[in-house]
Amino acid sequence: MRNLLAIFLGKVTFKLSQLFKLGAGGTWPGEVVLTISPNILTQLFDQLHEGVVIVAGTNGKTTTSLMIKQILEKQGISVIHNTTGANLLNGITSACIKESDWLGRINADWGVFETDENTLPSIIFNFQFSIFKDKKLIIVLLNLFRDQLDRYGEVDVIAEKWAKALQAISSQPSATGHNKLTLILNADDPQIAHLGIRLSHPRLDRGSADSRLRGNDKEKSFQLRSDSNVLYFGVNDKKHFLKQKEHATDSTFCLNCGGRLVYEGIYYSHIGVWKCVGCGEKRPQPDLSVWDSPMPGLYNQYNTLAAVSVAKALDIKDNIINQALQRFKPAFGRQEEFTINVPTSPGLREASKQVKLFLSKNPAGFNASLRTVLELNPKTVLLVLNDRIPDGRDVSWIWDVDFEILTQDKHKIIVSGDRVYDLALRMKYAFQQYNNLAMQQLIIKENLAEAIETGLKSIKPEGTLYILATYSAMLEVRKILTGKKIL
Amino acid sequence: MNFRLNLAWMYPDLMSTYGDRGNIIVLTKRCQWRGIEVNIKEITLETKVSELSNCDLIFMGGAQDRQQKIAGDDFLKNKGPMIKELVENSVPALFVCAAYQAVGHFYKPYQGEPIPGPGIFDLHTEHPGDQAKRLIGNVVAELISDQFDVIARSPVSKYGINSATKQSSHLIVGFENHGGRTYLGKKLQPFARVIKGGGNNGEDGYEGALYKNSIGSYFHGPLLPKNPYIADWLIAKALEKKYVAKIRLRQLDDGLEKQAHKFVSTLR
Repeated sequence: MRNLLAIFLGKVTFKLSQLFKLGAGGTWPGEVVLTISPNILTQLFDQLHEGVVIVAGTNGKTTTSLMIKQILEKQGISVIHNTTGANLLNGITSACIKESDWLGRINADWGVFETDENTLPSIIFNFQFSIFKDKKLIIVLLNLFRDQLDRYGEVDVIAEKWAKALQAISSQPSATGHNKLTLILNADDPQIAHLGIRLSHPRLDRGSADSRLRGNDKEKSFQLRSDSNVLYFGVNDKKHFLKQKEHATDSTFCLNCGGRLVYEGIYYSHIGVWKCVGCGEKRPQPDLSVWDSPMPGLYNQYNTLAAVSVAKALDIKDNIINQALQRFKPAFGRQEEFTINVPTSPGLREASKQVKLFLSKNPAGFNASLRTVLELNPKTVLLVLNDRIPDGRDVSWIWDVDFEILTQDKHKIIVSGDRVYDLALRMKYAFQQYNNLAMQQLIIKENLAEAIETGLKSIKPEGTLYILATYSAMLEVRKILTGKKIL
Repeated sequence: MNFRLNLAWMYPDLMSTYGDRGNIIVLTKRCQWRGIEVNIKEITLETKVSELSNCDLIFMGGAQDRQQKIAGDDFLKNKGPMIKELVENSVPALFVCAAYQAVGHFYKPYQGEPIPGPGIFDLHTEHPGDQAKRLIGNVVAELISDQFDVIARSPVSKYGINSATKQSSHLIVGFENHGGRTYLGKKLQPFARVIKGGGNNGEDGYEGALYKNSIGSYFHGPLLPKNPYIADWLIAKALEKKYVAKIRLRQLDDGLEKQAHKFVSTLR
């Protein structure tokens, strides 16, 4: 009865938010439902015919989960999916309510949900009862980078929470049989791969290792039921090894013994082909390492490999996967493209210019976006830094981004956002020489619309303006571009 | 005369969590812009302690728990005692965030035994438990020591100090994010008085510590970019110590530094 009331009010909230155009109904309906019926997600999950795919990680979860959704749909599988950014319990509940009827009945095969790092454990706990009833759980873990320390906490703390949740669900007797639990893990991220290694092999007791030195003495080994699956994805391509290590690395010490990791090569941040010289723990051999990515950037290669691994785990044929990926349209703000028509001069016909928008919200993400943009020979790059709640209030992290790679060439750099002067200052120190020439290359615009306008003016017709923006800044940029606030 | 400084960066692969590198970049560039040569020595677990002996300036930054534990033993037994000697000997050093906690006598976690430190600074830190509020947010604080204040401004004041710079150079701005509460002993003076934010322990209204030519602060990560005159003070002290001469640094154009500083200092 309580659940029915909850769902009824959730549906009403959804309809109202549609009626009054109060956003897309991404989180509020779920919030209402969860307030009345905190455990309702368990029942909603239970109704899915097949099970749930959860995608977590610091970077790439929106793109990856969208790829999975589109591949599954191409196969004729019905999917419930949370809209981008709505990746807490309320967002996932909202996605279910949106698809349910007024009695809370859901008719779909799979739920494909991206989830916030801190929400992953509670999603897993909400699912643990469904696993009794032959439902399947596929957990995709992409990566862990430092991100908004003031909000999320430290990377190690998150990894430990994940390990505990995985341990809880994989040790359930009911998790046996029919591959009910599948883990799809990034082999090249030591922190992610270590979760799989811990699950697959009980830890060898290494008496010689000093537990203080290990730094993770609380860790206990646990074992995955033999019929659960761990699949690894990773890149096997020495061409992509970085010549110089980036500064923003988080996990270069062994999770098992505390020894220093050595890399045969690093692809970006701490992602690469790693090995511990102390205990011999090493990067697992990937089960999948090659697949054409529909978008540029090595990080999208990883997103693609993760999504395809899910498809393969569900026995979807290669040609279906390829067809879905060829038509893949990026999620908003993730290399999203806009065409802007601008008058070349008064009275003349319009010319079109492109804008390509890269959400870049932490050092690893920013570095990855910068590299991708630089490969595309940009004329002008606009960087936007906000410090609102969704961005993280602390902007210290910009000093971990290798902006030095951006200032090497002569393209224009425009900075804007709430913390425009922090960004300008970072740029000043990124220039090889800070002098008049550098000052001409750097343009400071407090007003974002003006910054975009200046950027568009600086490029030739048919050219592309590249914008890298933190979360709330990305939303603002979209609003300006789609709302035609400018020009 | 060609000036040259050896800058020791302690545990760059372990204790560098959230923009700590900003301090190194700022120290390096502000030296280079003035024609002072900088040699950055990355001091990590495997580095011999003797490598520290010719260092003129020391920086140590923040860390996550696991990384701090890995560095902790080496710091306590090997590098810490050497740094203590250097600091006593008036070699300038900057310890931020986790490093600030690590240079004290001990760190007492909420549960378990206190973790000993090398006692470079006469202070200790206690963690009040998970229920206590973490001190997170932008901080504005006012420098306390007149002596420090004079020294901080004198090296950059080749052309005298106008009232505007005088005003802003009293304030330091930054971001804090710590659970531990730090209490200073008698041998230490606080670095600054908190105007906005938590500071050392959220109780006594002080932020950071000053001992001889060394500074400890909870302003994590990039303390120096928005407070460039602190960077200049450290550089000047390092040069004075090394070349046994009164050093006056050339004034730099700090327009952008002041704008970024002002954004935080005028936050409501």
